[in-house]
Amino acid sequence: MSMEDYDFLFKIVLIGNAGVGKTCLVRRFTQGLFPPGQGATIGVDFMIKTVEINGEKVKLQIWDTAGQERFRSITQSYYRSANALILTYDITCEESFRCLPEWLREIEQYASNKVITVLVGNKIDLAERREVSQQRAEEFSEAQDMYYLETSAKESDNVEKLFLDLACRLISEARQNTLVNNVSSPLPGEGKSISYLTCCNFN
Amino acid sequence: MADTLPSEFDVIVIGTGLPESITAAACSRSGRRVLHVDSRSYYGGNWASFSFSGLLSWLKEYQENSDIVSDSPVWQDQILENEEAIALSRKDKTIQHVEVFCYASQDLNEDVEEAGALQKNHALVTSANSTEASDSAFLPTEDESLSTMSCEMLTEQTPSSDPENALEVNGAEVTGEKENHCDDKTCVPSTSAEDMSENVPIAEDTTEQPKKNIITYSQIIKEGRRFNIDLVSKLLYSRGLLIDLLIKSNVSRYAEFKNITRILAFREGQVEQVPCSRADVFNSKQLTMVEKRMLMKFLTFCMEYEKYPDEYKGYEEITFYEYLKTQKLTPNLQYIVLHSIAMTSETTSSTMDGLKATKNFLHCLGRYGNTPFLFPLYGQGELPQCFCRMCAVFGGIYCLRHSVQCLVVDKESRKCKAIIDQFGQRIISEHFLVEDSYFSENMCSRVQYRQISRAVLITDRSVLKTDSDQQISILTVPAEEPGTFAVRVIELCSSTMTCMKGTYLVHLTCTSSKTAREDLEPVVQKLFIPYTEMEIENEQVEKPRILWALYFNMRDSSDISRSCYSDLPSNVYVCSGPDCGLGNDNAVKQAETLFQEICPNEDFCPPPPNPEDIVLDGDGLQPETSESSAIPEANSETFEESTNLGNLEESSE
Repeated sequence: MSMEDYDFLFKIVLIGNAGVGKTCLVRRFTQGLFPPGQGATIGVDFMIKTVEINGEKVKLQIWDTAGQERFRSITQSYYRSANALILTYDITCEESFRCLPEWLREIEQYASNKVITVLVGNKIDLAERREVSQQRAEEFSEAQDMYYLETSAKESDNVEKLFLDLACRLISEARQNTLVNNVSSPLPGEGKSISYLTCCNFN
Repeated sequence: MADTLPSEFDVIVIGTGLPESITAAACSRSGRRVLHVDSRSYYGGNWASFSFSGLLSWLKEYQENSDIVSDSPVWQDQILENEEAIALSRKDKTIQHVEVFCYASQDLNEDVEEAGALQKNHALVTSANSTEASDSAFLPTEDESLSTMSCEMLTEQTPSSDPENALEVNGAEVTGEKENHCDDKTCVPSTSAEDMSENVPIAEDTTEQPKKNIITYSQIIKEGRRFNIDLVSKLLYSRGLLIDLLIKSNVSRYAEFKNITRILAFREGQVEQVPCSRADVFNSKQLTMVEKRMLMKFLTFCMEYEKYPDEYKGYEEITFYEYLKTQKLTPNLQYIVLHSIAMTSETTSSTMDGLKATKNFLHCLGRYGNTPFLFPLYGQGELPQCFCRMCAVFGGIYCLRHSVQCLVVDKESRKCKAIIDQFGQRIISEHFLVEDSYFSENMCSRVQYRQISRAVLITDRSVLKTDSDQQISILTVPAEEPGTFAVRVIELCSSTMTCMKGTYLVHLTCTSSKTAREDLEPVVQKLFIPYTEMEIENEQVEKPRILWALYFNMRDSSDISRSCYSDLPSNVYVCSGPDCGLGNDNAVKQAETLFQEICPNEDFCPPPPNPEDIVLDGDGLQPETSESSAIPEANSETFEESTNLGNLEESSE
């Protein structure tokens, strides 16, 4: 197997109601684009960005919902083996905030118990239309033991910070768990990919 | 969500089982606009896997199935003069003879503790966010169902010697008392329970050494999330069509797999391991030196049996069983080859079928490990979902909990032109894929269905103990009397992510001749004993003990000619439910055939563009990451499965 050009690889998964700006956040971060090109997401499974943190190369694999959240039909397998979840709502849409407990239940049921969850209130560029106060969101995230951040994918506010902070936390978590970050098994989830498994069996 | 569906598609797929999901993915990949719906709240239909509470809800749903009263808008008004409607079924009749038995005891103290922890956590949720009414509603029901359980479950008082009687009662109680269980997605313990499940076992181990092996029903409920219980029990042949498709289409990136670690045989009341690789044969302690040579010689021949027609000429007409007797094999070896390697029986296969099956087994061996099989982590139910994800990535629209009332057929052309959904919305399409169970009784009145007998057991130890408690095993128990069928037993350990730590999930499957329990109980009794307090004290019990058991029959709608369905319009295609076979080839073949009808001459699930390439295309902003070396690196990552295969084969031979 070839030497991979990174020290860590993490799978980050976005969830939240339709229209809260999940794809925009990913596009803004990985490509610096806003708004994302129409139809361009067809066939794109996940986006990649490699960042450098304290001299270490961290490859972030960022997965979007592929529209399955529109009719509440996200597959369970989407949550499996995610290292981090970005739970997004729209600060100008009360409904998207109200749905958060429902999303949390899905996380509890399907995601790994080691997963890190970040709550993101997006669209702070539309502050005049805000429906969910920062304080309410902070209280909620505290009660749920989640890290909380408000962003604007449009103005690029806090988007870098969101992903970079997350990367830092993932690194320290990975170290704490004394998980040797095996390059052939890039996802320190509970399972193994076909390839990793095969290597092991023939040692 | 107040979102409405578009009113026009190219392909509408009804049902999210494996064949439907593969076809949907393939069509979407080929640029067709796909709408994929399922009337259930979960993916997979009869291919699904459930958490423990999810399974209990599923059982309950079957019991209440007949009571569903539809308040959907009337569709009859929408049918025009030149149209006809084919009403779809509102009930699922594919599952029958459900019986549940609980042998595990109830520990009240633990219950209280758990319920308290849950309450606290939820109080937090609700105070922090005053909106979720369902949240607070959910807890009391869970609580109640647990406490009713504890009253009703009398396992501790039932005499262990009389399981028949006592169990009947218990079974009725368990299924009956789960009424209050809420939606499958909602009643799983929340984060705090999760934390506890992590911590509790450790604490118990240190503080209560003598009782370490006791598993109670409440523990199973509490750790219900740990279970992923398959309705169909299958494995992936490492060179089967499904593995090839997963790799080709890159859908393999959505799932993770584990090797089946051993093949077992059941002979003269004993479970033993079958040597199947070369190394196994040589290391085997059950075989004599002479047997080892005999077996190696025979298996080497089977690998390339076509090259030596003289070896089987004249034997084509007899059964493989008879043929094996003519070979230089001891009865011991004949048994192993027949039941554990060819996985066939005395009567069912001819010499040629047997040789083919043996060759296939050997051919699959060593691609990914010591046995020819893989199992998807989190259960077989992940697989349809993986293909659905692929369909969605290419624009397919997904709607669970969405039923279709009828198909609208144009009288003149005899073609289906639209569906009318539960909201009365008419959605037009070119092609319609419908899973068998959605058709009404009228439609299938001429269809003769076979049945599959299934049992699911939660046990406390493996059928064959070894140093490692993380074994995944397959065992074939031959049929005992004519007219019955061999029983396939698959035992999964907790590292397959299908059961909680300290337990095993055992699936039994056979073609039905009677009800599932009648078919499978004899085998269950040979291999297992009920879990009772009595035997816990006596630590010398050898057989695994059953904590919980479920029996049911499932309709086998595979291999049914479409002409059996009455008046099927030419653009309505039927997908079958799961078949009884071990592999998934049937589903893949069906999907590929249907895809070729819908999209003639197009490639079936070609590899999608590499996500990393797409990012690099639209992006000149990251000079430090987009250097040229990134592309080959990315490729090697995405295709590493396939590149690894070559190496593997060599290393295994």
